[in-house]
Amino acid sequence: MKIKRRDFLKLSAATGAAVALTQGGSLNAFAQAKRGAIGGEKAGKWTPSTCQGCTAWCPVEFFVQDGRATKVRGNQFSKANNGYCCPRGHLMLQQTYDPDRVLTPMKRTNPAKGRGIDPKFVPITWDEALDTIADKMMELRKAGEPEKLLYMRGRYSPTSQALLYGTMPKIFGTPNAMSHSAICAEAEKMGPGYTQGYFGYRDYDMAKTKCLVVWGCDPLSSNRQVPNTINKFGDIFDRGAVIAVDPRLSASAAKANEWLPIKPGTDGALVAAIAHVLLTEGMWSKEFVGDFKDGKNLFKTGATIDEAAFAEKETHGIIKWWNLELKDKTPAWAAKVTLIPEKQIVSVARTMGKAGSACAVYMGPGVAMTPRGTYASMAVYALNGILGSIETEGGVMQGSSAPTDKFPSIDKYIDDLAKKSGKTKKIDGRGAKDMPAIMGGMNKKKDKDGKETVSAKANVVTNNVANGILKDPGAIKVFISTWSNFAFSCTGAQRWEKALPMIPFFAHLVTNASEMSQFADIVLPATFAPTEKLSIITNMANLHGHMSIQQPVVKPLGQAKPEETEVMWLLAEKLKAKGFANLFDYYASLEDPETKKKPSNAAEFIEIAAKISSHKVWDGKDKMKGDQISGWENFKARGIYNTETYAYKKNWGKFKTETKKFEFYSETLKKTLGLFAEKHKTTVDDVLKSSGYEAQGELAFVPHYESPKRHGDEKEYPFTFIDHKSRLNREGRSQNTVWYHEFKKVDVGDDSWDDVVKINPVDGKELGIKTGDKVMLTSTTGSITCTAKLWEGVRPGTIAKCYGQGHWAYGRVAAKDYAKAIANGGNNNELMPDDYDRLSGATARNGGFTGVKIKKA
Amino acid sequence: MTQYAMVIDLQKCVGCGACALACKAGNNTAGRNAGQTHNWADFQLETSGKFPKPKFTARPVLCNHCSNAACVEACPVTPKAMFKTADGITMHNDERCIGCRACQEACPYSKMEVKGNEYSVISYNEDGKPYDPFYADKTEMIKGCTTSGADMAKSNDNPPHRTQYEHPDYQDVRRNNITEKCIFCEHLVKNGELPNCVVACPAKARTFGDISNPGSEVAQLVKKYKGTVLKPEAGTKPNVYYIREYARK
Repeated sequence: MKIKRRDFLKLSAATGAAVALTQGGSLNAFAQAKRGAIGGEKAGKWTPSTCQGCTAWCPVEFFVQDGRATKVRGNQFSKANNGYCCPRGHLMLQQTYDPDRVLTPMKRTNPAKGRGIDPKFVPITWDEALDTIADKMMELRKAGEPEKLLYMRGRYSPTSQALLYGTMPKIFGTPNAMSHSAICAEAEKMGPGYTQGYFGYRDYDMAKTKCLVVWGCDPLSSNRQVPNTINKFGDIFDRGAVIAVDPRLSASAAKANEWLPIKPGTDGALVAAIAHVLLTEGMWSKEFVGDFKDGKNLFKTGATIDEAAFAEKETHGIIKWWNLELKDKTPAWAAKVTLIPEKQIVSVARTMGKAGSACAVYMGPGVAMTPRGTYASMAVYALNGILGSIETEGGVMQGSSAPTDKFPSIDKYIDDLAKKSGKTKKIDGRGAKDMPAIMGGMNKKKDKDGKETVSAKANVVTNNVANGILKDPGAIKVFISTWSNFAFSCTGAQRWEKALPMIPFFAHLVTNASEMSQFADIVLPATFAPTEKLSIITNMANLHGHMSIQQPVVKPLGQAKPEETEVMWLLAEKLKAKGFANLFDYYASLEDPETKKKPSNAAEFIEIAAKISSHKVWDGKDKMKGDQISGWENFKARGIYNTETYAYKKNWGKFKTETKKFEFYSETLKKTLGLFAEKHKTTVDDVLKSSGYEAQGELAFVPHYESPKRHGDEKEYPFTFIDHKSRLNREGRSQNTVWYHEFKKVDVGDDSWDDVVKINPVDGKELGIKTGDKVMLTSTTGSITCTAKLWEGVRPGTIAKCYGQGHWAYGRVAAKDYAKAIANGGNNNELMPDDYDRLSGATARNGGFTGVKIKKA
Repeated sequence: MTQYAMVIDLQKCVGCGACALACKAGNNTAGRNAGQTHNWADFQLETSGKFPKPKFTARPVLCNHCSNAACVEACPVTPKAMFKTADGITMHNDERCIGCRACQEACPYSKMEVKGNEYSVISYNEDGKPYDPFYADKTEMIKGCTTSGADMAKSNDNPPHRTQYEHPDYQDVRRNNITEKCIFCEHLVKNGELPNCVVACPAKARTFGDISNPGSEVAQLVKKYKGTVLKPEAGTKPNVYYIREYARK
């Protein structure tokens, strides 16, 4: 272009202007001083919907011009996001208009299945597609084996999912309804669950906190309230401090006052030392925890304390915890384990102690989603207990929720066959002696005589489904899955590529032909939920719960349909025509809460479902403590109901634990594990040993340090792998947008238009690797290729890589070559083996459990 | 006389990218091609120091709307295609621009060709090339089942999410063989709204206003925190200021 410019400069400026004129300019262009009127943006309408690009599920608004979505912002009424969306919100525009989205139902014409084998998809009608699926389902019913139907949900709507996930499998007669939740962050719930009786995600009083400790997560990038964190983070420095515990320099760590680059998987040890300092230096909350009866601090390093010497208030078992775990765990000891200097541990503990009940410890999946993560989760969360920052100004809250209504009972639509087959063993292995999966605590049921039976809950083990199929290939014959991509998003992803071809029939309802879709017999185009689907979404942040609408702001692309409502209605119609009417009869029995009208077609069904879920907030029958909404139309136009503000200390004295107290010694875990062991006719110690935990005896009931588990010995696989999330990841779905790659550099240490592994320069030098070199990373399960980036934000001996890239399907921006199934970068899940925090059933992806070797590719 | 300016509070900024993405959506800038980012808003990212005490800074960047704008001086067209408005915005007139790129070469904050994580305030729309090759592509990924970029644009708009607006100097989607850059969203500002990047910032890190008025928020912030500008030595007198520190370490 330079030559051209110089050519031009030979001409006079006046001639240049003449050139501009001949290129279609108008005379107006010559009027230097007189500028035309500034018209501004063409008329449009901000229309509310809900994002769902991450688990924040942000209420947003789309600017719609001529029926097209053109801009995005947070819902201006939203208290959870303060009216802002995070960067990933904007990517919805490119996702909506992604040319690679599936437009029409399609079927595979090549029976051979595998990566790189062209499925030879051809377009078919919705009618043919649903006929085929219904036929396959009816074959199972006719053979008396409906349990061989597997349904797995990926991203879903928390209300209308009940119509699919919570209904279809049960009425049909299969126990195999599997949620994606255990590959998300379920182990995170174990901490608050077994200490405070709250098995859920927490909220934080970030506007008031004086010390925010982000531990094993990067709330500026991910983890449930990104826009709210971004909104309030910078102001915390004016009130106090931010401390980041993370093995890599995250977005939060980059800004924090203190970064603690902990050795992966040793969080429990750091907790023990911080707790040790807080207790020995008398910095625990007297209001929440209580005090020694004679007022003298008996927490002395190494000293066992008589439990009777301490009078607890809102907690249970502080002395037991001290005696069992904390008394010898000094900062000097922890420094050796965690590689964080003793001085820094002490100073951080004092900063936290000084902020006291206004110090919020924001615990994330990096702590918990590890092979022994339950105890680390309990440990990090328990620091909030010592500080007394449970439900206090500047502290940690339980969730807030908006009042949804449930759909009517399905019981009478479950026939005898479904009742029987619905009780068969689930494919995910939950509840086995080596997979307790007791996330959620106990089930308490009362029979008609009022007699209570108690049993340990068994939670889903999503990633183990592949193992179940591989172990028993005949167990699943028909597989339906929605908005999922387990062959990409699960660790040990290769197992899914082996298991999926073993299933005779697989129907996938998705927006894009993903990795998993390459194994599908039928692919159905799902709506892109935030812009094309009607549903009701609930969540919370910033001390408010909310219910927000998700609605079509544009016409669905091609023949896309909402998978949880319209597709289920149409499928139910097909099943009815083939002799199984129960599902349809149930759907058709739903009533519009306003008009009492029953649905006569799919469109009515969709709207009635949304109205049932949401009616409490707008129908005026229930007195709402939050926003006042005048009716369904008002709700749709406004897009959101916000609850009242969270009341501090509202659960003090009535935590849902066995003691109603905050349990440093978890009577709740003790009882749950006891029930579980009893069912297996064994001991708690045996259960823990079988499940890979180190603790035995009483230690199992207190938060404690368990050493990190590692796949691959340090000699052969010398580097410890750190997986982390992108602030642009819309789960695994945004990589087919150009904007994702253009701004990949906003992930601290990453590069635009590349997929890098971050290596400390010291290691790079030793390996003879420099920035920009292509490298192959190999673990015990597989190899991936990506680009090396020498960077000071990781400790020597550890390497960090962001999850999200490495797509070999999904689209032509995401993959290097879709037709040839060539990946763009590397998928971390092919490197990390499938392992679990077996007490919760959650998939491990953190805690340094994967050893890796690096060589130049 | 009015001089529009922007103050970016680096303590509030978390480097998330929302501003830059909102700018792309609101101004319909093309995807990166032929060494041009077309990012009117972007970031300068830097890691310095050594483990375990590295220092990272994310600095949002955009046109500095310099009072002594090198790009305006370099523009050879009469009347100038790159000029200063009465409000101090460095404005670009698409019709008069002849695509010589003298502005791009003269701007101390621009590059003729951008690689990797680099940024350039001014981009150039290649002569004879479509606005965005992505939406000119006519191939389908799965024949008969997915569509092409060109058809997606045809059945919606180009780009499909095009934010339509009108302005006498620049088009909402610009033609080829001209340069382009941030224009402080004058089409919004003159209608009483704020630039897209300001509205989109979840951290409220950006403040926009008239710095010639000592009582304005921008003037007050610059005074209170001793605002700094990029490359003061270039003598361009930028009107984008940075206050406070990004990192606390």
